[in-house]
Amino acid sequence: MLENIALGMDSKIPSRELEARIRAVMNQYGLLLDPHRTVATLSVGERQRIEIVRALLLEPQLLIMDEPTSVLTPQEVEQLFTVLRKLAAEGCSILYISHKLHEIKALCDTATILRGGKLVDTCDPKQETSRSMAEKMIGTGLKDIVKAEGRTFGPPKLVVSQLSTVKAGHFDVPVDGVSFTVRAGEILGIAGVAGNGQNALLDALSGEIRGDDREAITIDGLGIGMMDTTERRRNGLCAVPEERNGHAAVGEFSLSDNSVLTARDRLGMVVMGLINGGAAKTYTGKVIADFAVKALGPGSMAGSLSGGNLQKYIMGREILQKPSVLVVSQPTWGVDAGAAAAIHQALVDLAAAGSAIVVISQDLDELRALSDTLAVINMGRLSPARPVKDVSVEEIGLLMGGVHGAEAA
Amino acid sequence: MMQFRLEKRREPSKAMLYGTPIVAVLLTMIVGAILFSLIGFDGVGAVREIFITPFTNTYKWQDLGVKAAPLIIIGVGLSIAYRANVWNIGAEGQYVVGGLAATGVALATYQMTGWWILPLMILAGMAGGALYGAIPALLRTRLGVNEILTSLMLTYVSVQAIYYLVRAPWKDPMGMGFPQTRRFAADALLPNILPGTIVHAGVPIAIIVALVAWFVMSRSVFGYQMRVVGAAPHAARYGGFSENRTIWLAFLVSGALAGLAGALEVSGPFQRMVPGFPTNYGFTAIIVAFLGRLDPLGVIFGGLVIAVTFVGGEIAQTSIGLSNSATGVFQAMMLFFLLAGDLLVRYRIRRVTPQAEARA
Repeated sequence: MLENIALGMDSKIPSRELEARIRAVMNQYGLLLDPHRTVATLSVGERQRIEIVRALLLEPQLLIMDEPTSVLTPQEVEQLFTVLRKLAAEGCSILYISHKLHEIKALCDTATILRGGKLVDTCDPKQETSRSMAEKMIGTGLKDIVKAEGRTFGPPKLVVSQLSTVKAGHFDVPVDGVSFTVRAGEILGIAGVAGNGQNALLDALSGEIRGDDREAITIDGLGIGMMDTTERRRNGLCAVPEERNGHAAVGEFSLSDNSVLTARDRLGMVVMGLINGGAAKTYTGKVIADFAVKALGPGSMAGSLSGGNLQKYIMGREILQKPSVLVVSQPTWGVDAGAAAAIHQALVDLAAAGSAIVVISQDLDELRALSDTLAVINMGRLSPARPVKDVSVEEIGLLMGGVHGAEAA
Repeated sequence: MMQFRLEKRREPSKAMLYGTPIVAVLLTMIVGAILFSLIGFDGVGAVREIFITPFTNTYKWQDLGVKAAPLIIIGVGLSIAYRANVWNIGAEGQYVVGGLAATGVALATYQMTGWWILPLMILAGMAGGALYGAIPALLRTRLGVNEILTSLMLTYVSVQAIYYLVRAPWKDPMGMGFPQTRRFAADALLPNILPGTIVHAGVPIAIIVALVAWFVMSRSVFGYQMRVVGAAPHAARYGGFSENRTIWLAFLVSGALAGLAGALEVSGPFQRMVPGFPTNYGFTAIIVAFLGRLDPLGVIFGGLVIAVTFVGGEIAQTSIGLSNSATGVFQAMMLFFLLAGDLLVRYRIRRVTPQAEARA
């Protein structure tokens, strides 16, 4: 960590002196970290603190931050805001870029809204509501998620009991004895700070990491814990990993070919070992139309789409397969507010049709709006799921910070 | 100080991608002419003899087909494996083992007659090549041993196997002590398809292999698997394609095709197994696969270009006394220009001054 900070300095400073200065800055702003740890062992939230410390060491006149809170717990966000307010009071200008409007409201003195690279409006966020700013952002009225009140859930559909993975690499965070149940029609949200086993959990559920206990994961009572991804898809479980390009989609392939990647069995795109290109193309066209993907057509290279459009395509590709269980990680990461609302609505509709859905996300607002029940993952362990209206943000934050906060202190 | 930097292009143009092999061939001709002029040869004449005469001299066309056939068959197999990022460098060894397996069948059935002997030899050749390719696949998937090294080194083992077999158990009893097998019986020889020429059945087989491979690679789940594992291994796993299974398939297919080429060569042009059977077709086919853009149809083009340099090299040898090694020089230059061109298709060179860099 020390070396990483030294890299960002203009002049060469002896490491002893630098360390002293780092500790001084960290104490002044309440950013707690051990300067001698290897960066790779830090969580993304902790890594971000390095960035901030590095910036503060240079005693800046202007600090520009782009979506700094996406990897922080609510408590950490509050800490960060305290630091930023202190900085601003000391005369430093701060340019804070974010799509989380309540943050803008809480922190900023003026707000400038951009849409498609063009200036839309400048306003005083304290005078606006989150909703009015969101509507300026997307240019049209914002649709609320339509969620039937007082819905009842069906029988347990996805049951996970004592699911564990093996530590795959030096920096892998495995899941450890995770258990939960998702009923038909239910959306389970899994909150947590990045790097707490979310990736391992998704891979273990999707089948990329194959388990050795058949009954660790069951769908409608059928043990799928030892099946590979293809067999799990056949049995109704679809998954969307966090990384789009290179994991959920192949950038060098056309969208049509990318549809073959996960939909070939469920939608009969393969006949006697041959790929039915026409079926793939038709399906891809439907995904593009239904999810308003900005692409020239099914033949467009996945890598040529913007991140948000690629995400819309990937979500559409899985949702339109009408899986009975859908596991998604970061469903609206980097997607604009309008598209995010569309994706959320599609997930809610899928649940209403009787699917069980697991949403892994770092965006608490998203989880609170979307989920019926909520659990928190920390260091690979999952807290018991609770109805979302019974948990407060503070409680979630404490669970998210859990072991992590104690370790950092 | 001036600096150069490579910058990735957003989307490499299709035209450039397919134009590179042609540019590489042209550059090879130009630089080759200059190079051989500098060392005191008739450079322009050498290039003319090597690259032009094989086309103008219709008598040489049959040579082109016969040389190109094994290159295309092996090159198609390698293009499939390389698409999946499986680096089978040992096609030469699989070719040799394929030839040996076919020879084994031919010698065992020496006293027999029947239409089934040649097909059996071909099947044995393919099985032999595939089994020999299975060794690096096994070592890679079970023990994580780099397949480039194992497949390459097994080539040298296979060559020693020829030396042993033709000197002891398979030695021709009537061969006056020459280290070679008997000439195969009539039913074990590959028929000529054009009377009065040396064009054998291997030539149309090569074209059929390339067409079938093209169809399989572009339309089948197998081809999809090879392409997706090569392009994005992580996505392949997500899509349900096992990496180990892909390594096995890639080695079995490329090994079987190299073995097929071996069986066709030994039953066609060679008609017996001799110590000179390994003619580096397996190594040259690596250039062919890349010249053909790892596309089975492109491999037909690549095989023809390399065949031209072989045939032209022989012409230049007799007509202007150019050493046979010149062929190798030209082939190597071609691969060099091709790989350099590939880099420029994917990246652009930008000149940066240190100040600009500091500002950035």
